Amino acid sequence: MSLKNVLENWSDYRKTHEDGGHHDYEHMWGMVVDLNKCTGCNACAVSCYSENNLATVGKEKMGKGQGMHWLRMERYWDEPNVGGDEKEFHERGASFLPMMCQQCNAATCEVVCPVAATYHTPDGLNAQVYNRCIGSRYCSNNCPYRLRYFNFYSYYEDAWPEPLNQQLNPDLSVRDKGVMEKCTFCVQRIRTAKDTARREGREVRDGDAVSACAQSCPTKAITFGDLLDENAEVTKLWKFHQVELGKTKQDKANKELRGYRVLEGLNVDPCIMYLDRVREV
Amino acid sequence: MSGNDINRRDFLKFMGLGGVGAATLSGCDMPTTVTLEEGKEKVVSYLAPEEYVIPGIGVWYASTCQQCPSSCGIHGRVREGRVLKVEGNPESSVNGGGLCQMAHAGLQSHYNPDRLRKPLIRKGGTLTEVSWKEAWAVVEEKLAASDSAKTGWMTGTVSGHQAVLLDALQEANGSNKHYVYEAINNSVGESVNKAMLGEATPRYRFDKAQSILSFGADFLGTWVSPVHFSKEYAEFRTGDRGVLMVVEPKMTLTGANADFWVPAKPGTEGVLALGIANVLLTKHQADAKLLPASVRKLISEYNVAKVTEVTGVGGDSVVKITNHLKNHAPSIVMSGASAHEHENGYFNATAAMVLNILLGNVGKTIESSGAMPDVKLASKTGSSSAAMRLAADADKGALETLFITGANPVFTVPSYVGLVDKLAKVPFKVSLTSFMDETAALSDVILPLLSSYEDWGTTAAAYQPTEKVIGIQQPLMQPLYAETKGFGDVLLDLLKIQGAEQYGAYTDYYSYLQNALYSLPASVKQGLSDADFWHDSLKKGLIKVGDAKGSLSVKTIDLTAPSFEDNADFPMVLAPSARQGLWDGRLANIPWLQEAPDQITKIFWDSWAELHPSTAKKFGVKEGDVIQVESDQGSIEAQVYIYKGVHPDVVAVPMGQGHENYGRYATNLGVNPLKILSPGTDKVTGEIAAHATRVRISKTGKSSDLARLGGSETQVGRKLVSTVSADVFRRTEGGGNVA
Repeated sequence: MSLKNVLENWSDYRKTHEDGGHHDYEHMWGMVVDLNKCTGCNACAVSCYSENNLATVGKEKMGKGQGMHWLRMERYWDEPNVGGDEKEFHERGASFLPMMCQQCNAATCEVVCPVAATYHTPDGLNAQVYNRCIGSRYCSNNCPYRLRYFNFYSYYEDAWPEPLNQQLNPDLSVRDKGVMEKCTFCVQRIRTAKDTARREGREVRDGDAVSACAQSCPTKAITFGDLLDENAEVTKLWKFHQVELGKTKQDKANKELRGYRVLEGLNVDPCIMYLDRVREV
Repeated sequence: MSGNDINRRDFLKFMGLGGVGAATLSGCDMPTTVTLEEGKEKVVSYLAPEEYVIPGIGVWYASTCQQCPSSCGIHGRVREGRVLKVEGNPESSVNGGGLCQMAHAGLQSHYNPDRLRKPLIRKGGTLTEVSWKEAWAVVEEKLAASDSAKTGWMTGTVSGHQAVLLDALQEANGSNKHYVYEAINNSVGESVNKAMLGEATPRYRFDKAQSILSFGADFLGTWVSPVHFSKEYAEFRTGDRGVLMVVEPKMTLTGANADFWVPAKPGTEGVLALGIANVLLTKHQADAKLLPASVRKLISEYNVAKVTEVTGVGGDSVVKITNHLKNHAPSIVMSGASAHEHENGYFNATAAMVLNILLGNVGKTIESSGAMPDVKLASKTGSSSAAMRLAADADKGALETLFITGANPVFTVPSYVGLVDKLAKVPFKVSLTSFMDETAALSDVILPLLSSYEDWGTTAAAYQPTEKVIGIQQPLMQPLYAETKGFGDVLLDLLKIQGAEQYGAYTDYYSYLQNALYSLPASVKQGLSDADFWHDSLKKGLIKVGDAKGSLSVKTIDLTAPSFEDNADFPMVLAPSARQGLWDGRLANIPWLQEAPDQITKIFWDSWAELHPSTAKKFGVKEGDVIQVESDQGSIEAQVYIYKGVHPDVVAVPMGQGHENYGRYATNLGVNPLKILSPGTDKVTGEIAAHATRVRISKTGKSSDLARLGGSETQVGRKLVSTVSADVFRRTEGGGNVA
């Protein structure tokens, strides 16, 4: 590809997510998180710790915001915590929000990586190549959701004293200091599902690949699947709630439908659709 | 390949060893890899792998979780002989495919670096590691010299064939001293259910209910069977979405999901229930003929004004709750720890059940859950009064030998009981446990048990309303340590000491269990041969045993009005709340669960004290300040977390932390609120009134940043969590109108 070619056929190369993205995607792994069902119990987060070799860092480092929780269960109160004058109590309970890498199709983290350690895969995943990462942390600085986690130390030295290390999942690595990491949508599970399907000479079916968080959810609040698969549960939910990829603002025929993407207006095109929390008035 | 020192055969050899090296070295965090150059060749090759072991392929085996008493079915992923991950067993009617965080963290119980690897016996006052043989010789010698009728057992919830063996052992001993102790229990509720419905744990039909009113029953977090109820809750919330109302002194996980969360003055929950009954009778013409005249009279005394005076709950809230119950019928009214653990706890639970009767819920949304066909296998659920009975028996010298397993009473029983001194009067104490803890530290012999992922067992969940099953607990991997033994095996060995002849034939618990399952009725075995049935059971992880159908019969019991006293010296009430995470403290030695932020406050690796903003203002404290919480039994110190999810008269300190001797992750972390509880028990059941302790708080002058997740407590106007009204939801997704 000569520079001349690039300049002359600029529009072919300047294919944004709104035009279908820069790949001919094989899959587009996506998710639905139903906040009406999510109880904030945190089972997904601990399931993630056990699946993805997440290190525990201890109180001090957690307090400094260095926790490696790829899936972070956020909790918000309806009104100012202290001194709010509207209601005496949080009588509508809490708002829980499980936040994991939103696998944006126009990811702001990808374009700033000086070594292309984070890039978009033909599966629609925002991948992180640990071996390539030099720890510039530009990506984490550019993530609007703050969902990238940096190994400031060799956490593994303390996180898995013998024989805790025997629990480590051999399907993925343990990260050392200087490396950025984040939710991968359990890429090792996706890989296993794809391998199995190929071995059996068939396409990947809905339900073959399930992320650890979705699998573990007691209320089935998380649905995981391939948004390019018409029959996938996740695709049906996106359709039902009239949310589409590649849009900055959804133009819903029925404005009352619950689906939305967190901070959608930033035009990062996340692959996770959330469904509104519901409360009796 | 010419010019290269390595040929194809060498290359393959190298690759083979490398692969095995990774497996044998257990984990990929090792900084070095085994190389031929280094000469580290003592690697056992998988030339002849063990049966079913395919290097690189994970195989899932079914078992049953033992992290809390709910007995959820699990699948454990086993690769190269190690268990790596657990998931819910989709076949299990208890939990379906889901699991809670505590279950996931069972892996870190199993692989915990602080697990006991060898037995310990007390030699000259200190516990010393010995071989199993030596420890067992001590047990045998002591048992031979003691009166077997004075042998006591303190356990957590037990069921299945372990319960059968334990009963047999105690029968052989001629002793009935079995104390089933759980600090987190539903004992008061069970008593009331038994008295008023004829069944201790009826079935709650969340799928039929349109509204739920919970008086402190944290069914999403810590009440009875949280994962089961979470699954049902999801159903309750979909379609024509039900309304959830929660009354409790401190917001629990269930409270945080409520449509309407109301704190009442601690202990007055029953009065609030009667107030709601009053509105139902006066405004909604509820049918009261099932209630005796005395109860009707009592209800009539609690008009809204009186209820507001006693409970502190505004009249509009009382009316709002009542309207929801009426407009969203049928309903379910539940009660749990924060309503039960008072001197009038039985009254509170009874008043809640009176509401169910008035609302016509019994038979509609509260049904019989049937019973295990073989009652000997049924779950023996725990109570806190069991610990009081143990203390009394130990004190009066009724115990010569005490076996303790599945419980840590020295940690969870309040100081005023004086359990440590009383246990000192028991001459011989044996702990069967995987970990050194506060109770084991006082024992004469500690026998290290296999972890729940290494041991055999069967369980019958206390709450399995849709179908009765025997849950199979099968080992997910070989034992990590040679000098450990299974609970069932120890029971068998003890039975053999007692000369119980019918058990002599069994070489181990495995063979006993196999035989016990073989002898299940033919209807349960569904025509399978013994061997096929055994394999089928292990594969599924459970055995459906059919249901002994039951029915509920409503009996009302008399109610006497409680009285509440103020205490000027100790103006506040302590809520030692249960966290789904550390449970009663037994899971505090698991790093994942310490690092997992509390669901409500988002605090990790510590204890804290929750205060309402108005209370904090009154005492001039801000978040992160350390306060002293003082009862007439002592005091604890903790950092303050301020939010509007706690009653202004309440200071909530979660239980689970404050261990003195429980391994590297739990010891000397936080405080144990149970230690400063004041004397007091429920008048009817004798359960410890853990939510009734009067305290006062004071500033210590110390302060530091509170270690918790997230910087912002609100969304600051960003639409991170968007909320719609239930009306909109019912319009778009109700009535089967779903994706």
